[in-house]
Amino acid sequence: MNLNSLSPAEKTHLNIGYMRLSDSAPLIIAHEQKFFERYGLEVTLSREVSWANVRDKVAVGTLDASQMLAPMPLVTSPGLKNTSGPFITGLMLSLNGNAITLSSGLSKQLDIDTNKTGDSCPDPVIAARRLGKIISTLPRQLTLATVYPYSMHTFQLRHWLRLGGICPDRDVKIIVLPPEQMVDNLARGIIDGFCVGEPWNTAAIQAGVGSSVVSGYQLWNNAPEKALVVAEHWHNNYPSTHLRLRLAVMEAATWLSHQENRQASVPVLARQQYLDLPEHVLKPALLGDFQYSKHSGTRNNRDFIVFHRYQAGFPWRSRAEYLLRKTLELQGETMSDSEICQLTEKVYRADLYREAALLLGYKYPSTDYKKEGVHTTSYLFEDSLELGPDLFLNGGTFSPCQP
Amino acid sequence: MDHSSHKEVRVMLVDDHPQRAAMVEQALNVCGFHIVAMLTSASGLLFQIQELKPHVVMIDIESPDRDILESLSLINQHNPTPVVMFSNEEDPAFIRQAINVGVSAYLMEDINPDKVKPVIDVALAQFEMFQALRQQLSSTQQALDDKNTLDKAKRLLMKHQKIAEPEAHKNMRNLAMNNNQTLVDVAKNVIAILDQDSKKAPVDEPK
Repeated sequence: MNLNSLSPAEKTHLNIGYMRLSDSAPLIIAHEQKFFERYGLEVTLSREVSWANVRDKVAVGTLDASQMLAPMPLVTSPGLKNTSGPFITGLMLSLNGNAITLSSGLSKQLDIDTNKTGDSCPDPVIAARRLGKIISTLPRQLTLATVYPYSMHTFQLRHWLRLGGICPDRDVKIIVLPPEQMVDNLARGIIDGFCVGEPWNTAAIQAGVGSSVVSGYQLWNNAPEKALVVAEHWHNNYPSTHLRLRLAVMEAATWLSHQENRQASVPVLARQQYLDLPEHVLKPALLGDFQYSKHSGTRNNRDFIVFHRYQAGFPWRSRAEYLLRKTLELQGETMSDSEICQLTEKVYRADLYREAALLLGYKYPSTDYKKEGVHTTSYLFEDSLELGPDLFLNGGTFSPCQP
Repeated sequence: MDHSSHKEVRVMLVDDHPQRAAMVEQALNVCGFHIVAMLTSASGLLFQIQELKPHVVMIDIESPDRDILESLSLINQHNPTPVVMFSNEEDPAFIRQAINVGVSAYLMEDINPDKVKPVIDVALAQFEMFQALRQQLSSTQQALDDKNTLDKAKRLLMKHQKIAEPEAHKNMRNLAMNNNQTLVDVAKNVIAILDQDSKKAPVDEPK
């Protein structure tokens, strides 16, 4: 690409938010590998402590852009209406990366500690059923934590509980905690388990306070996880800046899709100004050798966190619809099919992804919609695009309502 | 201002800066509001809210507990949905100001927002004052740091060139004028160059 053919950036200095999570890597690497610089952007990365902060700061312009949970740009929660957006995304940052971890005590009761069985990974359905059987005999109601009400984490936790016949609304108490408080709360017995993004499962496992029972990948292969989000009015004011931003982050995600670069990214992410954690806590998920409990073997899964591969950056409107429907279910609200399509088209900007992909010479889907829960292995979409498997644990499919 | 009606407004403060929290508490007390608790982050916010039933929670915008607070409606349908203060604000400048000085507020649904507006105004003013104090402090600190840098550079020059303090100062000033740099920049360069030697033969640092 001839960089001179790009329109000049309307704004060159940007503040971009991220959370202390392994899947912040594309933003951190875009900075460290000077991809932002290549596109004429001078970026200050701002480590944020809450998703609420990220949302409000992008809404008022204190942040120009931020990493957000995939459902966040779609959600205007009741009572918080004016603070939310409208937001848009033209680039997804990552697929997968979460896991559900239970306290050591509960893991022992469910007998999911895999070092005894010699497996590297417990059977998540058996574990859920066992929990379902004993849950009424426990001395108190279990408290499980998620990171944000409307997040893949919440959907994944509820999905897993239901596999064991457990009602997520009645049989357990689900609360929200910030990712970095999970391990401490688990250790202190305030919560009995959580669904969180890496590296916080590994941090709990290595500290010996919990064992993972299932990964996000197992619950829905290659689920959407984080997005690069801006305010719609920001995009309208700074379209060339936004394009340059997407190009830089897409290059960083591509860089991260190579295993040797993943290795190289670990010490960078570990630095004090970024995740501020020892490298051994970051490695398992980023290198695809996740360890479900402290003494178990590792289970190799290169797709534990996916950047770039499988069209990971493409903002599928069908997936936006899935996330929106799950959110509405939680809120007890309804929207008509046409309202849903209108909202997903407005927020998940597949057109903006294609604009950038074309410049980079990347292939991209010609349609914005696809089915989920159909493919057991990676497959060719539209004859030339490699997409990953998309199964839900224990079956189920999702067909979007196309406009 | 009629303070008697403020008594019924129950306020909870969540702030990890004890000095700022104390400033806000005092100001709210003066105005007659009822402060039910002052907490730091990660100290059992949910339990405290259930126990103390505040009408409004004023929370440091950088507190990770904001996500917890916003989830109240999800975790227990009997809890009121917290409404972020911005919901009733038409003025984007006010919202930006609040975020920039670092405060946010959540109204529990069962109170008239008009009654809570004065709480937010008072807290906002205190947060602004605290921010101004901190900026003042950091510029004082900067001046002190600059002085230490100058002193260190002078000592290095005196030792290295075996000269007296006034001469070292004069040399540095000349360097600054000739290179169109500030005295502090010159001092930093001097330290960068001469401190190599000092690693071999350490110069005594003021403790």
